[in-house]
Amino acid sequence: MKNQLIRRKAIFTAAFLLVFLFSGLSFYRSRHLKEPVVAGDGLLEVRKLSHYFPGLRGRINDASVYILGKGTTGSADGAALVLGGSHAEEPAGRLAAWLLVENARLERGRLFVILSANPSASTSTRPGGAYPPDYEIPTPWGRQKFRQGDRWSNPLDQWPDPEVYIHYPSRQQLAYMDIRNQNRTWPGRPDGTMTEKTCYAMTQLIIKEKIDLVIDLHEAELQYPVISTIVAHQKGEDLAALASMMISGEEGFNIGVEYSPVALRGLSHREIGDHTQAIPLLLETPEPFLDATRGRTDRALLLTGKDEFVMKAGRHGLLFEKLDENGWPIDVRVGRHLSSIIQIFKVWTELHPERPIQMENVPRYAEVIARGTGFYLKNPDLAPAGRLFYE
Amino acid sequence: MSPTQSALLILSVMVAAYALAKILKVSTELSLFLAAVAGALAGGYGLPVRHLAEGAITYLDICLIFLTATLFMNLLKEAGGVAFAVRAILKKFHRRRFMLFLLLVFLLLIPGALTGAGSVTVLITGSLVAVVLKYTGLSEVRVAAIIFLIAGLSAAAPPVSLWAMLTAAGINMPYVGFFLPLLIPCVLGALLTIFILGRKARPVDLEKALAELPVPPERMNWWRLGLPFAAFLVLVLAGRIFPFSFPILGLPLIFALTAVVAVLVSPVRLNIWKTSLATAEQLLPLVGTLTCVGVLVQVMTLTGVRGLISVSVVTLPAAVVIASLFLTLPLSEAVLMWGAAPVLGVPLVLLFNTRGLDPVVALAGMSIIWPLGDALPPTAIIGRLTMDTVGVKERYSTFLKMCLVPAAIIALLGTLMVIFSKKLSFLTLF
Repeated sequence: MKNQLIRRKAIFTAAFLLVFLFSGLSFYRSRHLKEPVVAGDGLLEVRKLSHYFPGLRGRINDASVYILGKGTTGSADGAALVLGGSHAEEPAGRLAAWLLVENARLERGRLFVILSANPSASTSTRPGGAYPPDYEIPTPWGRQKFRQGDRWSNPLDQWPDPEVYIHYPSRQQLAYMDIRNQNRTWPGRPDGTMTEKTCYAMTQLIIKEKIDLVIDLHEAELQYPVISTIVAHQKGEDLAALASMMISGEEGFNIGVEYSPVALRGLSHREIGDHTQAIPLLLETPEPFLDATRGRTDRALLLTGKDEFVMKAGRHGLLFEKLDENGWPIDVRVGRHLSSIIQIFKVWTELHPERPIQMENVPRYAEVIARGTGFYLKNPDLAPAGRLFYE
Repeated sequence: MSPTQSALLILSVMVAAYALAKILKVSTELSLFLAAVAGALAGGYGLPVRHLAEGAITYLDICLIFLTATLFMNLLKEAGGVAFAVRAILKKFHRRRFMLFLLLVFLLLIPGALTGAGSVTVLITGSLVAVVLKYTGLSEVRVAAIIFLIAGLSAAAPPVSLWAMLTAAGINMPYVGFFLPLLIPCVLGALLTIFILGRKARPVDLEKALAELPVPPERMNWWRLGLPFAAFLVLVLAGRIFPFSFPILGLPLIFALTAVVAVLVSPVRLNIWKTSLATAEQLLPLVGTLTCVGVLVQVMTLTGVRGLISVSVVTLPAAVVIASLFLTLPLSEAVLMWGAAPVLGVPLVLLFNTRGLDPVVALAGMSIIWPLGDALPPTAIIGRLTMDTVGVKERYSTFLKMCLVPAAIIALLGTLMVIFSKKLSFLTLF
């Protein structure tokens, strides 16, 4: 009897060690996967967020800030900040930001791009969510691998959570895990959690660099009412409305406008507008991978956006965006973000000719769909000296 | 094969594996794990070790809360605090049933309301209240039913209601306006539960009861008993009142610190090592079940089984969905525990929202129904914990039958809140 117990314990221990070893290797590889960025001609400089708030130095969330412009970093022209990966599980935002850094040229103004606004969140996947650890985008020179990531900062970097999260400075009570949600911790605070410090650093960047526009790139499940839209702070209502009209007229898809609710705290489109001079806009594209009714959770769903179960929910009127057999491919989602950014800059420059932001060489919606996202990703093996960076 | 057929096939394999394991008398937690592995194999994923490991840590924080809260309670028992409190309450209220019940409901609602976990209510005040109730002549199984149901309501009660918070987070809805829609039905349900199940309670034969109760150490007093609870309250409130200057401790550490206070103020020397080992032994099945439920949810999500279940529920006609909440919510809780909120809660609230119902009140109504599922297999975590804590010897089915009438009333209350959520929206003041 005693021998049987020992044998059973030995079997369980061995099984545990095997799972521990192989899963540990997988988690380690994900966390340390190096994603190459081949900066284009428009790049002036790459800084770290700790440049604006030293409290982040040495932390995983000391994200890279890619500064694009013409000539010098200092100018009276306008300035914009584009955030990808505030929610790392929403890949179209990160990929659109990637294409900006690798392709955009600024004729007027400066463009600050953060590819991984919450790097910690890009290193974990959601327990219970069955996310794939990574995905690959086909390119003319091979396949480029990206981390999948999660909505929240990795608990390895920020733990434990409080029993309830009280937002700074509004004191609004939010769900406890949202203290690790980058889009619930704006404007941030210097002595807060890692996620709050990251938002604080970005707030300092916005103030010190006199940023006029902040565009936060997101994706949403189709059962979420705020989808296929620009969410605008009241300071940016006219800009968003005009951009929406221009997009519908010139880009080949429709995008709505929603106004940032005053009672909903911690979000970029609310707090950046309230605490800085910048106009914040948040862009949402549809991502069926995030829907609670989704079927198999795999890379195919992530990249094609095709799902029979979510479609069934749509047939019963439960979706706020259409979904058919064509799904919502990643190219469509990336293209929507890029065209929206192009049109927002255009409208901004028309409304504020004294602070122009003129950007070129960025693929539009139709071009990304025709050629694929990967067509615009550059081969890191052929990167000119000093132009290769890693996320 | 279509995605629906594929998910149905995988679900069938999982159910068959679970049933077979149970027939072979494998424990619940291992049966759940085997069902998950079978599902992954049937889904063509082989043995997805990353998913098994990731699923296993889904409820890590809750496991830590279980362990530290139980350690605290066990140390308090060893110190003689529980015996002291039971004797004091009995002496004061043994003839005044109404006041006794009111006080007990208050005691039971507090821990779960503050932590969002019914298990904490069972562990912190449940065992204490159980002893008092047993001396009113109520059977152990009846006492267990009272404690289980009120513990469930305490978890749904404000300020921390995990079901409401997780669902609200899933649809980016702020967790505001929930206080009254959650508080009123929870207090009402708790009072109805104790007065319905405790209707046969009689005044206690004090001398006889006191003679049967263990005698606490001579130096035990209200200060020594109250200080650990005060420490708990201070640590929780400090985080609420000074959220930007007080460090984030997290509930596991708060309970661990509370346990340290219990040791420091104990009138007798406590063997912490021995009590810690006993606590780990006591909670092993519960922690094992939670771990394996996490693995199961992960595999269900991976293979599309979770999606199949979700979409099947939310695409029923709205009237059928509302009428079946009393069944679907507890069943989802039984399988997924808090995972039911993001899996089922999110699409349900979105469905109600599109049908013109008030999402806050509707979600509050759902939140009081969910915890009823904590008594149902395959997990039955809180139900089993309550049975163990109270020391019930009868079959589990007897306990379930005892819960039936008040549970039906609570489910009806929650369902009516969903139906009349628009008219009750005035409750969403803060």
